[in-house]
Amino acid sequence: MSDHEVHLKKFQKELSSGTVSLALLAVLAKAGEPLYGYLIAKELERVGEGVLSGKQSALYPVLRNLEGAGLLESHVEPSVAGPPRRYYRINDTGREVLSHWTAAWRATRDSVDSVLEGVTA
Amino acid sequence: MNIESVAGRALPTTIPAYLAQLRAALHDADPAMVQDALYDAEEYLRSELAAQPGRSEAEVIADVAGSYGAPEEVAEIYRETEITVNRALRTPSAGAAPIRRAAPVSAGAQTAPPQAPPKPRSALARFFGVALEARTYGALFYMLLSLATGTFFFTWVVTGLSLSLGLMVLIIGIPVAVLFFGSVRGLSLLEGRLVEALLGERMPRRPTYSDRSRSWLQRIGDMFTDGRTWLTLLYFVLMLPLGIVYFTIATTLLSTSIGFIWTPVAALFSSDYVGIHIDGIQMLPIWVTPLLAIIGVLLLFATLHLARGIGHLHGMMAKHLLVRL
Repeated sequence: MSDHEVHLKKFQKELSSGTVSLALLAVLAKAGEPLYGYLIAKELERVGEGVLSGKQSALYPVLRNLEGAGLLESHVEPSVAGPPRRYYRINDTGREVLSHWTAAWRATRDSVDSVLEGVTA
Repeated sequence: MNIESVAGRALPTTIPAYLAQLRAALHDADPAMVQDALYDAEEYLRSELAAQPGRSEAEVIADVAGSYGAPEEVAEIYRETEITVNRALRTPSAGAAPIRRAAPVSAGAQTAPPQAPPKPRSALARFFGVALEARTYGALFYMLLSLATGTFFFTWVVTGLSLSLGLMVLIIGIPVAVLFFGSVRGLSLLEGRLVEALLGERMPRRPTYSDRSRSWLQRIGDMFTDGRTWLTLLYFVLMLPLGIVYFTIATTLLSTSIGFIWTPVAALFSSDYVGIHIDGIQMLPIWVTPLLAIIGVLLLFATLHLARGIGHLHGMMAKHLLVRL
């Protein structure tokens, strides 16, 4: 692995630490129905590029943390395909937090974009 | 970045083999985390397999190594997350650490902020500071609650065991025993949630992984040969005496210290009945009562420390008996 790739990987990892939470909340807010881990991962994979296309195993601990933080609620349902599935649903706190995060994200994205404008690599 | 070649060991070709490799890669990690990781991985793998009918397990796993991650990568991800979560959950010191995920892109340029070294606290602050920590009250509440849960668990186990054994002569004892052992697993998960919430010991959040390639009968058999099932039974039986001891310690010490603290107030109203009576004779002069109040305060804080200590020990015991892998 070359030096540039190492730098890129590190950057992506740090970038993803917050954006993944934001994306998960957004997916669940849009879905309108409870989803389980695999479906959420597939939804992100469908739209995901950049840091969101990272390894999907990383999503599960984040889901659990979001639930621990009181932004998601979950319940378990048995399934024919395998072990019982845990379905996640966003709650009101989660929606509020999502709107704040969205504003923070837009502001950051805009300012980063304007800083990057005209930079010739 | 999904299409990277997976370095290291050859990819497993079956789901049990994948899970075994994941378990091996996590061999030195917290058993509770291992249980969660295996559960998540199995949910993903089985769903993927069900979503692509007609493809072999080996093909699906080869795909999954790209999207979900090879066992070694998954192990690495869970390890890292656990460290981050532990850091986030640590009781914040004076300048609370910023919540990292609230600032999506800010971390791009710099590395993680260095942890400020915790200030050493004086012995006095440590002694009284115990009252400010949520964990203390969790442990105290657990001690009071354990009388109820302990009685319930003990009764459940003794009734279940004797019913299964007694009815074993008739054929009906076998289904009763199977149901009983299944219920013990559920109760073990429940007790784990209690222990984690109140005592702060990391416990599994998902049921134990069971090998789905085995038949129902084999899995029922596994339940009886699994050492953990029997340790769980032992734990539940132990909960009755422990619950009684915890409850007694908590109520005795709390009521004694609170009684001591209020003696000066009581002495204001009727000096006859306050103090320590032996054979109906007052043993203490009235000026001692403020001293008793001070002893009461010290005793109260000592009780809080004791509760924390007991909570810690009990958490360790629960971990060893309920989540041995």
